[in-house]
Amino acid sequence: MKERDLMLLHYITGIGILVFGSIHIATVFLTYPFQGTIWETTLRFDSIPYAILPVYRNALLAASLFGLLLCTTIHAMNGLRSIIAELIGARKRWVETLLVAVGAFLLVYGTRTILIANALV
Amino acid sequence: MLARGVGRSSVFQTLKVMLTPGRYGLERWSYVLQRVSGVVVSLYFIAHVLETGNFVGGITVWGVPEYSFAERAYEETVKLLKNPVFDVGLAVIGFLVALHTINGIRLILAHFGFSLGRPRRPEPFSPPPSFSTKQRAIFWLSISLAVFALLYTLDSLMRVFRP
Amino acid sequence: MVERVKFRVFRYRPEDGGRGIYREYEVPVKKGMTILDGLIYIKENLDPTLSVRYSCRMAICGSCGVRVNAIETLACHTQILELRRRLITVEPMRNYPLIKDLVTDMAPLFRKQKALMTWLIRQDTEEQENPTRQYLQSEEELERYLQFTYCIQCGLCYSACPVVSTFPDFYGPQPLMKAYRYYADSRDEGGVVRTRLVDRFEGVWRCHFAGSCSAVCPKGVDPALAIQLLRRAALKG
Repeated sequence: MKERDLMLLHYITGIGILVFGSIHIATVFLTYPFQGTIWETTLRFDSIPYAILPVYRNALLAASLFGLLLCTTIHAMNGLRSIIAELIGARKRWVETLLVAVGAFLLVYGTRTILIANALV
Repeated sequence: MLARGVGRSSVFQTLKVMLTPGRYGLERWSYVLQRVSGVVVSLYFIAHVLETGNFVGGITVWGVPEYSFAERAYEETVKLLKNPVFDVGLAVIGFLVALHTINGIRLILAHFGFSLGRPRRPEPFSPPPSFSTKQRAIFWLSISLAVFALLYTLDSLMRVFRP
Repeated sequence: MVERVKFRVFRYRPEDGGRGIYREYEVPVKKGMTILDGLIYIKENLDPTLSVRYSCRMAICGSCGVRVNAIETLACHTQILELRRRLITVEPMRNYPLIKDLVTDMAPLFRKQKALMTWLIRQDTEEQENPTRQYLQSEEELERYLQFTYCIQCGLCYSACPVVSTFPDFYGPQPLMKAYRYYADSRDEGGVVRTRLVDRFEGVWRCHFAGSCSAVCPKGVDPALAIQLLRRAALKG
């Protein structure tokens, strides 16, 4: 892949994260009736068991979560690729292979979590 | 071949240059902050995928598990995450995400040539056209929103600690 | 009205090997004296072994680039009293191989300029050598690149760039700026050739708009702007 296309992908995934990430935060913060603070209901996970997971039983929201996973994986791995190359002063094939492997694992593992959460409870 | 030009530079030397904005001004600060926030948020993202994976039972589970098993896995993960260190970490992540997002939009605009000044004849004591008011306004907006996100999460945290 | 200012000057002798050291000199300073005047005073009166490169003494030739108090500047372009410091640290520029004391080898800069073909490219070379007519430009066409022609190739931007510091293969601000100077010239026909040259890992994509290049430029050239505009051209393909 040419550097130009990778850079375009970086911009597109960045905007994708903005869109899907907003949906993600909004669902986590807003779909639940507040018991105590937002922090308690959504971020600290201790008020309601399965506080977050049932939200994603909605197929559309699950798909948007997958979009967030995909965009973030690409954006993060591409960003780390350039930062690591600039840090060690050269491109290394093993670094880039490792990043692709980590990205692939995150995609598969994250997709699994979304699918399970979608069918659970 | 770094600072002193003698020999090849070590990773620590390059790290020092990468992380010290020095006296070069606002854009250099944005470079450092964007870099640090990018790396930290990437690490958070990896941890987040692993941690949400643990909510449904960890890496050995690849189908929909029994309800009781899932509940136990959930309780264990919650126990692990109920920790002031993670709470403060989440507040920092909020700060960095807000910063990286808005500053990232600023950089995308700059990379496509928008919001920059036009090339013009240099005049003494006038700032370079690329350090335009719009660019700097978006940078300060990213800082403000990041501070807001930090304060918001910290405030939630304080209320949790309050009886 | 003579003040005494302490100069902390970086000294490096290649035959000694290893790292350089800082040596301190006390210099009597009058109003209007520049860093270069101070260095010449040291060389003439205190330590004749100090090496410093300079020529015009009036910010035209771009020979005397150094780092003064951790920021790149032309020694002849910076007045000592304007710094308002009792201690002034003078170091050679970064990112270049060091020859001796404050003198750096500018070869990487010129090598990268050559790699980016920073000259006028025309299809009809015969016409270029023996023009048969005038090639006029409008005011707008001139303004598109005029700012970037003010560059004196002092290399301060290349020294200030954090990416060149960490990733030496990056073309650097000055060569990319110069590539854009020709790309934006209406008489130049190298368009696609130029965008292809910079569309590689060590090309425009490694610029992260840290702006240090434009912050230190003594001629107001703004390499950061040129690189963003060059990147826009490369993104359009």
